[in-house]
Amino acid sequence: MNINQHESFQHMIDESLAGAISPEREQSLREHLNTCAPCQVYLSATNRVVAGLGGFSFEVDSMLNARVLASLKRNVQPAQAPQPSRQWALIIIAAGALTMGGSFVDLQFGSLIASVFDLQRTQLRQELLAFWIVPSLCVLLLFPLLPLLSKAGIHREDREERTV
Amino acid sequence: MLDYEAMSGASMQSDTQQIALGLRQGDVVVLESLVERYQYRLVRYLIYLLGRRDGVDDLVQETWLRVLERGSSYDGQARFEPWLFRVARNIAVDAMRRRRTLGLESNDDDGIRQAPASDEASPFTSAAQTEDADRLARALETLDPGYREALVLRFQEDLSLQEISAIVGAPVSTVASRIYKGLATLRHQFEEKQHEH
Repeated sequence: MNINQHESFQHMIDESLAGAISPEREQSLREHLNTCAPCQVYLSATNRVVAGLGGFSFEVDSMLNARVLASLKRNVQPAQAPQPSRQWALIIIAAGALTMGGSFVDLQFGSLIASVFDLQRTQLRQELLAFWIVPSLCVLLLFPLLPLLSKAGIHREDREERTV
Repeated sequence: MLDYEAMSGASMQSDTQQIALGLRQGDVVVLESLVERYQYRLVRYLIYLLGRRDGVDDLVQETWLRVLERGSSYDGQARFEPWLFRVARNIAVDAMRRRRTLGLESNDDDGIRQAPASDEASPFTSAAQTEDADRLARALETLDPGYREALVLRFQEDLSLQEISAIVGAPVSTVASRIYKGLATLRHQFEEKQHEH
């Protein structure tokens, strides 16, 4: 067997270790290794290098885990805590949509609904206003004030605590 | 600690799905278990990547914060390790670029290059536990970081070429070539050292 053929099989050894060899080539490599001393030496040297890579043990600062976990906890809490301003914004958007929805139903389908339920058009409008549009409008107008009232309350409590 | 080789495909899938769910929810318990499970491997990967110990702890910390921040992008369909190493690599590359901008390191087109010469002792020499590892330490120190990275991911992390390719953002053929060249360099220097003894 010439040098080129050995080189070819030795490259196959590297391919096999890298996980880049087909099953057929792997089989042919195994058969070759059974009878070829130079390639066995090559395989043994390469395996020794690979095993040598596992012979390192890096020191990890014992406080590193604690530092990482503390920093993760600091950063995870704001994400998990409810965000009042976001909740209020969602409620305001929902109230706005309900108000507009009520007005839309009244304008577009008022006559149709009145005829289906055998109601006067004005009676239906009053009921829509009383039970749908006005409550939604109240929520829409009142909720923007709640964060401000809540903040004012917190500031007052803070002031009181400081005074005590 | 979970042993992936011992796990069936289905239970591994369930494990990765749990990790993905925990990350999406910012679940502290899941994060704690991930830190416990992967911390050493993360430190080792970054040392191989950078060729130094200095600054690795900061990168590890930054990596976990990024995991928390971008955890929702891990879908649990594949193993967690490649995704984690990819995050760590991006952080390390950004840090190297910042250092270069500050004039602390030489310029290069690739993200990761040779660590600068410093007074710091080689992390490999101080970590070598066996005679063979001791022989390899010096060679690893001077080895191209791209080769070192491919070697640790293949032979220490047992990742496939496809997984390594996804981490380093290079074609599979390039990754394979880095492994062959890395092995050849280490083998050569290892044999030289053996003859010296």
